[in-house]
Amino acid sequence: MIESCLGNAAAIEVKGLYAAYQRQPVLEDIHLAFPVGQWTAIVGPNGAGKSTLFHILTGSMRPLRGRIEAFGDEIERHRKEGSIAYMAQREAIEWDFPISVWDTVMSARYGHMRHDPLWRQLLPARWQAAHHLQAVRKALSDVDMLAFADRPIGALSGGQKKRVLLARALAQEARILLLDEPLAGVDSPSEQLILDVLKREREAGRTIVMVTHDMPGARRYVDHVVLINRFIRGEGTPEEMLSDSKLAELAVSSIEQSASDHALRANAVAMMQK
Amino acid sequence: MGTPEMLHTLDAFSSTLVGGLIAALMVLVNLLPDSISDAFQYAFMQRALLTSMMVGAICGLLSCYVVLKRWSLLGDAISHAVLPGVAIAYLVGLPFFIGAFVTGALTSLGIGAIERHTRIKSDAAMGIMFTGAFALGIVLISKIASSTHLMHILFGNVLGVQHSALLLTLAASIVALLVVWLAFRPLMLYAFDPTQAQALGFNTGVIHYGLILLLTLTIVASLETVGIILVVAMLITPGATAHLLTDRFKTMLLISVAVGVGSAVLGLWLSYTFDVASGGTIVLVATSCFFLALLLSPKHGVLMRQWRHRHIGSVND
Repeated sequence: MIESCLGNAAAIEVKGLYAAYQRQPVLEDIHLAFPVGQWTAIVGPNGAGKSTLFHILTGSMRPLRGRIEAFGDEIERHRKEGSIAYMAQREAIEWDFPISVWDTVMSARYGHMRHDPLWRQLLPARWQAAHHLQAVRKALSDVDMLAFADRPIGALSGGQKKRVLLARALAQEARILLLDEPLAGVDSPSEQLILDVLKREREAGRTIVMVTHDMPGARRYVDHVVLINRFIRGEGTPEEMLSDSKLAELAVSSIEQSASDHALRANAVAMMQK
Repeated sequence: MGTPEMLHTLDAFSSTLVGGLIAALMVLVNLLPDSISDAFQYAFMQRALLTSMMVGAICGLLSCYVVLKRWSLLGDAISHAVLPGVAIAYLVGLPFFIGAFVTGALTSLGIGAIERHTRIKSDAAMGIMFTGAFALGIVLISKIASSTHLMHILFGNVLGVQHSALLLTLAASIVALLVVWLAFRPLMLYAFDPTQAQALGFNTGVIHYGLILLLTLTIVASLETVGIILVVAMLITPGATAHLLTDRFKTMLLISVAVGVGSAVLGLWLSYTFDVASGGTIVLVATSCFFLALLLSPKHGVLMRQWRHRHIGSVND
């Protein structure tokens, strides 16, 4: 409590987290703190538990054990207040859904709309309070997608879809942005645009946590790096954590870990014999 | 405590309400040419018309969520699971819809529990639960009722619809309409992106089971019109048809309801004119709508896609 009064509380603090799928441990003994106002990159090989960590942070999966706090108290309260925005991976979305770009981004405001008077909530989207509409408009123009507002989301290209998902996270005007691979599979102009937008958001005081495989981008922009592969494998500045030796260590940890798994070892043997 | 009087008032009120609705409907029907409106001069046809229109409307409404959430098999499962409830309610002497609702809801909860706590996947869990429940229903009914009774439950009996069933359908329609209106945003967000709904602090468990209960209610309310087996078609086809025709969710809801109501009216009239089973005819009309949309939809239809291919192809040549 005293810490939070002094302003030292982390934006999100994870304490002693364990998670498993079908009794297979995915995350073990995770202790983490994402500092307020900083941009953190989470780096790890495929299957390291990064997305699982995000599912737990957004509340869509329950950990076996562990506690998660935001700004020094229960994270669920902050979810309800709309202070945590989440940008999903592109594959997690049903792109055939009959919804426009505008309405997709507007859905980020649904949490805040719960605090509006009931009669207003029952009106169609265009009669909602002006600040909701402004937030959507600003987010769409930030990612340069305002011209596409009326398009159905299924008609967009890959990079445009990513930008719409980012706009949805921005429109929430949250204190924390959780971004699951915001740069995966986008062309380089989109990548630069996304990184610039995030840089501005961090300068505006938001806390950013992103999963990424983009090492050059991470080296250039982020303040803080967490290496993860079932356990925390390292935590520190980009210079320390994203050095070639550290990344090689992380890769080795994933080979050791899979070698301990019987099925995967059999698989590796089969591959060597080929 | 005056409960009998209250029930009496309620009964009188509902009779007036239904009478009013039918009268209003007949004003519209009488605007049609005599060759069509003649069929609806009988009281049983008027009741059938009102019931099947309401069933078409709520099935159409719910079918959008069923199609977008990929719940077609779940709809199938719940509709079959309703059968033992009907039989047990008949044995105990309760109104059939109470039993139907209880077994339908229990089965969907059972499916969820198997899926979550064992290694059995959801399609197998549904297959096991609904065939099991359906078999129990068949066994119970073979002991207590005639085969015509069974046929009516399985395939509907809209021409013989009772006042109580009409009231149930009316109540279910009002509930479904209110829920979809009041919870429009959470329901849409849950259908589109449940993780986002969770991250915004919506209680997705409540939304999930609320939607399943609404589905069960709709199925129970449609029982007498199209029957257990064919209600599944009404829960899938209108939504799928609408999905081919639009890229807006609200428009999809409207088209789907229109397809549901339209098929109900046209199917009922065709079945009267040609003296064939009404439940089946209603479903056939809806299926025809689907294939028409599949062929002719301006955006997602087969013909337009072919034409576009050829057009683009010729440009490339």
